[in-house]
Amino acid sequence: MRPLVLRWPSFRLIERAALPRWALRLVGPLTVLLGWELGARFGLINTLLLPPPSAAFADLGVLISGGYLGKALYASLFRVVCGFALAVVVGALLGLAMARIRLVDDFFDPIVELLRPISPLALFPLAILWFGIGDGSKIFVIALAACFPVILNTFAGARSIDANLIRAARSLGASEFEIFKGIVLPASLPHIFTGIRLAWGISLIVIIAAEMVGATVGMGYMVLEAQQTFRTERVFAGIFVIGAIGFVTDLGFRRLRRWLLPWYRETQD
Amino acid sequence: MSGAPGQELVRFDRVTLTFPGVNGRPAIEVIRQLDFRIETGEFVAIIGPSGCGKSTLLSLLAGYLPPSSGRVLFRGKPIAGPARERMMVFQQPALFPWLTTAGNVAYGLKLKANRGNGRNVQSTVDALLHLVQLDGFAHHYPSDLSGGMRQRLEIARALAVDPQVLLMDEPLAALDALTRRRMQGEVLHIWEKTRKTILFVTHDIDEAVIMADRVIVMAQRPTSILEIEEVRLPRPRRREDPELAGIVRRLSALLE
Ligand SMILES: Nc1ncnc2c1ncn2[C@@H]1O[C@H](COP(=O)(O)OP(=O)(O)O)[C@@H](O)[C@H]1O
Ligand SMILES: [Mg+2]
Repeated sequence: MRPLVLRWPSFRLIERAALPRWALRLVGPLTVLLGWELGARFGLINTLLLPPPSAAFADLGVLISGGYLGKALYASLFRVVCGFALAVVVGALLGLAMARIRLVDDFFDPIVELLRPISPLALFPLAILWFGIGDGSKIFVIALAACFPVILNTFAGARSIDANLIRAARSLGASEFEIFKGIVLPASLPHIFTGIRLAWGISLIVIIAAEMVGATVGMGYMVLEAQQTFRTERVFAGIFVIGAIGFVTDLGFRRLRRWLLPWYRETQD
Repeated sequence: MSGAPGQELVRFDRVTLTFPGVNGRPAIEVIRQLDFRIETGEFVAIIGPSGCGKSTLLSLLAGYLPPSSGRVLFRGKPIAGPARERMMVFQQPALFPWLTTAGNVAYGLKLKANRGNGRNVQSTVDALLHLVQLDGFAHHYPSDLSGGMRQRLEIARALAVDPQVLLMDEPLAALDALTRRRMQGEVLHIWEKTRKTILFVTHDIDEAVIMADRVIVMAQRPTSILEIEEVRLPRPRRREDPELAGIVRRLSALLE
């Protein structure tokens, strides 16, 4: 199903230019990069503070060939994936349990609501004391920060199930376990998936911030070190890489959803 | 097993249902001292003004609600909860959107409680989809079906576990007039083929008289029975039949 899009005659002309959709979507970012590059070349902007993108890409080449980027990226992604996976598993199970079992909700809901407003970075110094300056402290804060959107979305999904679906299953002879596995879980999956996407975004934000506060390797550390040595082109090289990771992985999540939830329609008719 | 035609299948024995008042709202007595019986194989229509408790009555029979007082008996025994012998067909189709058409019908057959009854899942599903004329749509999802098709799929899913009675809650209310007439014929066709007992709630008097053996007319809340009309016209019935029109007119006057 296609979302309703306003169609202006002049827009249609552009669409008729026969560019595929993905190519059209590149036009915006490329325009910004080009303007930025030209601005730097013609001395309109201070290249010490805002180096031209070409310099950032050149430095990116250096980072890649020197193996430095690979090392930093590996360290960061390892932490992100571990923390994120923990958040998804714990968050989904807790969200489902809270939604369907009163006692669990009464026990965990106040804890969740008390912890949720606390910035994960406020807990980071503590995490370093507990888990050290290495991977453990990062995984901990990522898992903590990223589990909230999973819990809340899973909870909302499992609570909003049409009661008649459960009644129908019960009439057909489903046991409580069969209802959980066959009805509650699949009915909540679209919401869980939304929570997972949000959790991934948060994981990427938290890892960079955490690595800037206390780390010896990683993308955040790399960017911070570049800033401290005034290599702004390297700062931007790092930022580009981080942005690209977020962009590509979100595309991946959409693909994954279409594959995992072929029945799901974002807009219900 | 399912009892001979003419035998008592369902009995309401002085049934009262009151929804307790929540958060300071007053309690609502929806059904008061209701008494009636339904025989095996009958097609019974229930009509009454909206909000009079028709859905509540079906919920009692499905076992989703216990009566506040009195007894709801099924084959002589009080109803303890939902069971596959009494299947509901919901007003708003309650299909499982993550399962295909075939998957929805197969769902009940694959449950632990229904396995090993000697019926082959695939052939049962095929037969039921054929019965409700959804043969070509086995691999479609419910969101790809029209309103009438969803309603037929609900019926097929309910029939899969071989219930003794189908509780149909205004199954055709959401359909346009043309589809609705066709579906009336199809429900009758399914009834004639399967010989299930059917309780069919509607607020359309025409529909009730055209379809049912008996029409139970209910009064405004707290609900009691105004009249039980036995419709002895042969099938297929025609809307233009003056005798049928006479019954419709009489019941309409009763409800006004
Ligand atoms: N769970 C409930 N709690 C309180 N009141 C209810 C509940 N379900 C239905 N009612 C009330 O009972 C009355 C009958 O409802 P219902 O059986 O749905 O009527 P009908 O199907 O005939 O339109 C309505 O006034 C409705 O507001
Ligand atoms: Mg109703």
